[in-house]
Amino acid sequence: MRQIIRRRELVSDELRYEGEAFEPGTHGVPTLSQWLITAAAQRGPAVLLRATDELEPLASQLAHLRWIVVEFAKPGDGRGFSQARLLRERYHYEGELRARGAFGRDLLFFLARCGFDAFDPNPGEDLEAALGAFDSFSVAYQGGSEGIVHVHERAAGL
Amino acid sequence: MIAAPRRVRAAQELQEQAVYRYDQIDQTLVNERVAQFRDQTRRFLAGALTEDEYRPLRLRNGLYVQRFAPMLRVSIPYGLLSSTQLRMLGHIARRYDRDFGHFTTRQNIQYNWPRLEDVPDILAELASVEMHAIQTSGNSIRNITADHLAGVAPDEIADPRPYCEIIRQWATLHPEFSYLPRKFKIAITAAPADRAASEVHDIGVHLRRGAQGEIGFEILAGGGLGRTPIVGHRIREWLPQADLLAYLEAILRVYNRYGRRDNIHKARVKILMRALGVAEFTRQVEQEFLASADFAPQLSAAQVEHMRGFFRPPPYESLPDEPQPSSERAPNARADAAFCAWYRYNTRAHKVTGYRVVIVSLKKHGEPPGDASAAQMDGLAQLAEQHSFGMIRVTHDQNLVLADVSQRALPEVWRRLEQLGLATANIGTLTDMICCPGLDFCSLANAGSIDIAKQIHARFDDLDYLYEIGPLEIKMSGCMNACGHHHIGHIGILGVDKHGKEWYQITIGGSSAPPAALGEVIGPSVPKEAVADTIAKLIEVYLRERRDDAERFLDTVRRIGVEPFQERVYAADHSPA
Repeated sequence: MRQIIRRRELVSDELRYEGEAFEPGTHGVPTLSQWLITAAAQRGPAVLLRATDELEPLASQLAHLRWIVVEFAKPGDGRGFSQARLLRERYHYEGELRARGAFGRDLLFFLARCGFDAFDPNPGEDLEAALGAFDSFSVAYQGGSEGIVHVHERAAGL
Repeated sequence: MIAAPRRVRAAQELQEQAVYRYDQIDQTLVNERVAQFRDQTRRFLAGALTEDEYRPLRLRNGLYVQRFAPMLRVSIPYGLLSSTQLRMLGHIARRYDRDFGHFTTRQNIQYNWPRLEDVPDILAELASVEMHAIQTSGNSIRNITADHLAGVAPDEIADPRPYCEIIRQWATLHPEFSYLPRKFKIAITAAPADRAASEVHDIGVHLRRGAQGEIGFEILAGGGLGRTPIVGHRIREWLPQADLLAYLEAILRVYNRYGRRDNIHKARVKILMRALGVAEFTRQVEQEFLASADFAPQLSAAQVEHMRGFFRPPPYESLPDEPQPSSERAPNARADAAFCAWYRYNTRAHKVTGYRVVIVSLKKHGEPPGDASAAQMDGLAQLAEQHSFGMIRVTHDQNLVLADVSQRALPEVWRRLEQLGLATANIGTLTDMICCPGLDFCSLANAGSIDIAKQIHARFDDLDYLYEIGPLEIKMSGCMNACGHHHIGHIGILGVDKHGKEWYQITIGGSSAPPAALGEVIGPSVPKEAVADTIAKLIEVYLRERRDDAERFLDTVRRIGVEPFQERVYAADHSPA
């Protein structure tokens, strides 16, 4: 059973991707294009975003989704960071936002700051050891997820 | 690890200097960054991280693996240093390197010989004087560069440094923009003379004043050098102060999402802009800017005011202007002629009466351009404390600046700089070359740069001849990545590899000053031993063709075109020996 990180805890993954066997209680994750051509009533609660996917087609559908998985296909490809920030801040998506793919523990802090709350890195990453990376920094210069002191509070004299 | 007393002492010294001062947030951030990098390096050395995994992490801390050793690039935000910080740079050169450092065109400093295992300690030492190496390489927002005369230039409309620091902080470890398609460079200037080469940056920010005297910005984008040199385009004529960061985010987001990632050579924002067209790129940025209005960072007047507090003018004395030195009035004619030449070439007007800006030449004959020894850094730090309110600046053409020297102290400052080997009176002349480290250090280079600088220095070692030639910028890069900005040199020199030999392509007519222009290639590249001769032929044509002494080399090239220069360089040489 695949383990992932969700809100800083290791949990069993309930999502299944193309080619993986379904079990009771699991959900398939179609790509955005597959999801969009499915009749609205049949659409599942999870969708996979590729780096080139636009977000506008999803905008009116976000309330139906419990999982958005953003794929990081190649190391160093930062498009998913912008997708996450837009989903959270422009489109106010409140379900689980999961990063999946080619990133190691050293990116977890940035990913979390952009709004990801679940993480499924490629096999080989020691998830238990990776949990500490969320605390790499206790301060930041940009707004973002909570629990971090950031610069605007300083200037505002708060 | 270093002992505590040095850190305590350094921190006390910093208290008294007019530089952006870290508070608890800034200090915590760099300390945590050092701890993070120490752990990453430990994991790499222990085999838990592969080289492929470690590379992007070390690059974001300025650490390259070069030809002989790692190269560490340390950030000097907008080129501004306190004497305490400069001393630390000297200390690092002495303790961890071979006693020198190399100042770069991004106003940073590079060390060419640190040991990988020492780098976490070096970063810890830097953190003790409020410095770091964050984002000095990698596909991230690089050091923010600015006019090296910010705050003292008579022609600026306002001091750009508060905005530089605001942008520096915003860009530092920005979670969304740390894995861009390619590196991203921002330059800021508040003066029409544009001493920051802002037109050849991914973003150029120009301070402007609105109808009510309020500050806003003109925004340029899509400039850059490298393999495909392009002059930036204006995409916003007027941006209110409050929207500065929001607009930068809009540009960065369009770039992050749509910039090419399939080809490293086509990944800069200039290529995206060219593919979309300026109008469409601008439309997308504007659309993104509008659509982000409710969550993009807003810059409050209080934030700007808070930042402005760090850059208040130093306590200038009320002094009269001194008469300009003239060798005719001098009792000691020879020494005085040298002082007069230095005054003329290496000092600049200051906005405060009785003061002058001193450019410290790092272009001495026999030394690689931009290099400074630990002893020079120490000596200059002391001189700055005595005569320039403890501050030093780095210029993008690889010199240093004492920005606030009283005119009456100039003879003393000149004498001390002479002793340090930092008073070569050649600023703005042919031997004030920009030069990358080249094949001697850099694993990207095709050809040597430092040898060429030496060759040119040797050929043009007569200062009087340099003065006759007048203002002339030579910029040299060892490869097409263009770290030496060769495209915007009045004369540009580019190292190329021809069948394993070092050859050099020459361009003329480039300029970083408005209107920025890219140089034109004069013809086939020339072999290494012929570079200085080729420059000499170009100069010969210029001296023959110029209308008068006031017409610079660049002006003559613009007026008569490249053909007369080509003819002289490539014609069979029938001139009498």
